[in-house]
Amino acid sequence: MNTKLKVSKVSKIYPGCIANDNVSLNFQSGKIYALLGENGAGKSTLVKILSGVINPDKGQIFLNDKLLKLTSPKDAKNNNIGMVFQHFNLFETLSVFENLSIDNEKNNHQLRILINNILKKYNFKIDLDVPILNLSAGQKQKVEIVRCLIRNPKVLIMDEPTSVLTEQETEDLFLSLKKFSKEGILIIYITHKLKEVLSLCDEVAVMRKGKVVSISRTVDEELSSLANKMIGENLNKIKKIASNNLSGEEILKVSRLNFNSEDPYEVNLVDINFTLNKGECLGIAGISGNGQNELFQILSGETLSNNGSIKFRSKEISKLNPKERREYLMAFSPEDRISQAAVPSLKIYENVALNNFKTSNFFEKGLFNERKIKDHSKKILSNFSVNTDNVNLKSQFLSGGNLQKLILGRELITSPELLICFNPTWGLDVGAINYIHQTLVKINEQGKSIILISTNNDELLQLSDRISVINKGKLSKIMSAEEVNPEKLGLLMGGGLVD
Amino acid sequence: MIKIERRDETSNLIYFLTPVLAIFLTLVTGAIIFYLLGFKPLEALKFFFITPISDLYGLSELLVKATPLCLIAIGLSFCFKSNNWNIGAEGQLTFGGIVGGGVALLFYNHEGFYVLPLIILAGAIGGMIFAMIPAILKIYFNTNEILVSLMLVYISKLLLDYLVVGPWSNPEGFNFPETRQFSESARLPILFEGLRIHAGIFIALFSVFLAWVVLFKTYLGFQIKVSGLSLKTAKYAGFKGKTMILLVFMVSGACAGLAGVGEITGPIGQLHRMISPEYGFTAIIVAFLGRLNPIGIVFASLIVALTYLGAETAQIFLQVPKYTGQVFQGMILFFLLASDFLLFFRIKFLGLKKYEY
Repeated sequence: MNTKLKVSKVSKIYPGCIANDNVSLNFQSGKIYALLGENGAGKSTLVKILSGVINPDKGQIFLNDKLLKLTSPKDAKNNNIGMVFQHFNLFETLSVFENLSIDNEKNNHQLRILINNILKKYNFKIDLDVPILNLSAGQKQKVEIVRCLIRNPKVLIMDEPTSVLTEQETEDLFLSLKKFSKEGILIIYITHKLKEVLSLCDEVAVMRKGKVVSISRTVDEELSSLANKMIGENLNKIKKIASNNLSGEEILKVSRLNFNSEDPYEVNLVDINFTLNKGECLGIAGISGNGQNELFQILSGETLSNNGSIKFRSKEISKLNPKERREYLMAFSPEDRISQAAVPSLKIYENVALNNFKTSNFFEKGLFNERKIKDHSKKILSNFSVNTDNVNLKSQFLSGGNLQKLILGRELITSPELLICFNPTWGLDVGAINYIHQTLVKINEQGKSIILISTNNDELLQLSDRISVINKGKLSKIMSAEEVNPEKLGLLMGGGLVD
Repeated sequence: MIKIERRDETSNLIYFLTPVLAIFLTLVTGAIIFYLLGFKPLEALKFFFITPISDLYGLSELLVKATPLCLIAIGLSFCFKSNNWNIGAEGQLTFGGIVGGGVALLFYNHEGFYVLPLIILAGAIGGMIFAMIPAILKIYFNTNEILVSLMLVYISKLLLDYLVVGPWSNPEGFNFPETRQFSESARLPILFEGLRIHAGIFIALFSVFLAWVVLFKTYLGFQIKVSGLSLKTAKYAGFKGKTMILLVFMVSGACAGLAGVGEITGPIGQLHRMISPEYGFTAIIVAFLGRLNPIGIVFASLIVALTYLGAETAQIFLQVPKYTGQVFQGMILFFLLASDFLLFFRIKFLGLKKYEY
């Protein structure tokens, strides 16, 4: 069956921003289409228009030359347009089958047969009667896909589906998507990951600032050409030069560190041992939820472990709180930049004052030295190219990239000897990621050390000197970056063994 | 379908004006209630809010009542700003009164300038120690401070009951449940002959100033603010969370203790069962009506004190129960919370057929 989807001159204007500017696209079944763009390029708006969540101000959408009226997600469903969102819409405590039957009119017996057929056909291994919360992210996504497949979709839209998946799960997903495509389902794949576009898709439309800037076949493209189209400027490729100023001077030594949490939702850390040298970047990979959070908190001093030792320049620091550790010139950039690293309702300069040193004199004799803090904040804003010079702005009005620059700036302007950062580029656009990577490389070159806990393997491979993988609270053997490749990482992340 | 969304930004001016709106709505609703009860609304409101303060004596009474409310609310603002829900100021007030009163009885018939400061200090320390109980239990056993501080209110009230009936009761008092009248050296000086307004007001005003400096100009105040907005951030910044819990409770307890000792050495002059018409609970309303801001609290305490006075005059002139005062206090809090909700959230009506993901 041949499906044609046509987006014709669609515009959507929000106050102060044109989310979609006269977008026209043609899609045809049998092919997998990529919609590529930075955060805020207008992809999500277009997807929401296609799925009926929001209405366009101008323009039409045609399915097989028939004008579609999409005023609610229900209309999209009735017109056989299926959507898998980045965040799952599943009831955690209900079983898989219950989740699938909620919005389905068929009787339970028929539905179960139908679902079982789908599972068999695509070789999905999911137990229909376990609650959703027992499933991995990849399995949850399959449930979402099955929910679409039940309705015989003509169009399947996937919104950044791999952000929560492991390498292995991603490959699985790609195989399934290719299968769907062969069966005549038109697939639109939204992403900002360039590699995925090249390995999965046939055609790619690049969006930038609400406009479609390029439509091309992926065989004609390569990583750098796509990246340039996406951000509209030539990226200077970050190449980490293997740090040759490694003096072998030991900065941090963690030994026999264990952490048993009282909270059942936290991960216990088991026998963590590693050392970090001056000027080195140690990457810690892993699927999220394998103890990264706990490890970060223990290294920063937010939680204290009751046994094991952490030595910073041979001084025992395991009983110190984050403020005391900062005095030793450690700096921390947590994963949750929005509500942990900063308080959204505080002004920029107040957020800067969070990182308070004895020597910074923000609070002379306990009094708030507003002028000093503001001067210091201005310096951060300009040194780290944050897109504002107003230190009285509430930090909730900064975009993700600018907020992260502010936080990194705040942590780095004191020239710490060790920076511990956790997913520093999570959810940022290419421009900001590029900036932050450059910054990290630069401080390494200045002889500062970094512990980079990240779920982004590309980033780890790009920036680390040595890499270890955390799985269920245990660290793998630490490997030098040259001997690691994505496959090896994927294997270790999934709990497998290498060598 | 109705959808409730958080607003992006609320203007500072409106934030401080909504309490005024809440008071206005309270007046309108009060007028309606009076009308339904068969009174002329405007006249009733006049009896309630104007008559009580139309002479010097009335104004002095207003300040007498506003003083403890303001003091307690100032203390509570430290707790509430840092996300510690101390509901037991009434108990801390009572315990401060007990300890201060104990010292006053100890120095019965003593002369000397040191007696009064000693009593006041004892009262503050008493309230502080009593407030440390929920704080310490929270820190070490993770108990809920709301429940603990609330339950402690009844413990201190019953202890006061026992003392004034038993060991501390006035030997010449014909078994009335009250202690001796404190001697002159143990009394706060009266400011004007014939009026009840006393030197306690200076303690309250000084604490307002001190609280303003601490909350807005010091590192401690900054830490309190950050902890109130995000405990996660406070932890990340390395603020000593446990010390801070203890500290804010101590401040709050000391203020409530001061209010208690101010009452017994000021207008009351002895210990008896009813040393406070629930000032400790009403001060919670004052603290929120004043936006946890020291200056706001000064105004809020005057307004709420007026409801106490209004209830008394209304009782006399309109023959309504004095609990009308509490009805008005309740309405103020209700309208304040309601307008806050609308201030921070907007309600969207999406029509009936719309689907929402």
